[in-house]
Amino acid sequence: MAEYRTHIKIIGDILATTRDDLQDEDGASVTYLIRKANISHSRISSILKTLVSQGLLEKVDNQGSNKYKISENGREFLQAYYAFTNFADSFGLSI
Amino acid sequence: MEFLLENILNLVGFLVGLAIGIMSYIGFRNTGSPTLFRLTIAFFSISLGFFVIWTGYMIEDFVTKTGNIERWIQTLGIAIQTIGYFFIAFSHSIKSFFPKSSYFRSVGIFPLFLVSSVQLEHIFRSVSFILLAYGAIETMLSYLENRNKGAISVSIGLGFLALGEFLGWYSFVFPESILYPASMIIKIGGLIALFIPVSKVPLTKIKFDEDFGK
Repeated sequence: MAEYRTHIKIIGDILATTRDDLQDEDGASVTYLIRKANISHSRISSILKTLVSQGLLEKVDNQGSNKYKISENGREFLQAYYAFTNFADSFGLSI
Repeated sequence: MEFLLENILNLVGFLVGLAIGIMSYIGFRNTGSPTLFRLTIAFFSISLGFFVIWTGYMIEDFVTKTGNIERWIQTLGIAIQTIGYFFIAFSHSIKSFFPKSSYFRSVGIFPLFLVSSVQLEHIFRSVSFILLAYGAIETMLSYLENRNKGAISVSIGLGFLALGEFLGWYSFVFPESILYPASMIIKIGGLIALFIPVSKVPLTKIKFDEDFGK
């Protein structure tokens, strides 16, 4: 059975992909993120928009197509996300 | 001896609850996670409950000097702690999908057997025991799934608090026995075990994010 992912966990997966698993230096395309983060196109669009507006991701215009890179704020958020995932795990819970 | 142990227990409970509550709140502010919000409410309630009882003992010691803490203050403190234990158990019940959990339904019947008196304090203590025992078992089951060593410590902590609560409640049957001091020592041990995983969170790498979640 597929593991249920909370909204925050999906955000964590997207940020982790843009930090650790980039296609090239320009960033990750939406298609690549959909595949890596295992999420539908309709859902990822709104999440990416939010993450860019919050300053966690940077949108890069690359020859007519948009690519996404993690920002410094995104890296800090991801670090906090991992720390608190571990914290919640200690209580037997998922964030 | 009992007075000293009560003071240590309530002060440690207040500080540990506050530390875990603050950590959960920082996590909630940084991630917006509802789980961390529930943990924040849980541990701030537990901390406040211990603080109320500790204040009661201080008032008794320095103001009223009657030799006994006001019963209503003790009951109020235990009731507030029970709210905290409820939120810990509630977080687990959400995770375990409450309507399908026959286990939770079965332990829900337990208070009827445990409560032998109509006194509120007895009711709160027995409810606390059930919630803590449930939290301890669920946390241990989570450890078996994700192998996070911190979960062992939290599970032992909640288990000790449950045992301490049970012995504290049972000591009403044998008032002058060693049961009550033993329950307090076990509860102090439980609180320390709860604090261990929190002390390992890398605080220096975490900061408040004022904008996220707006």
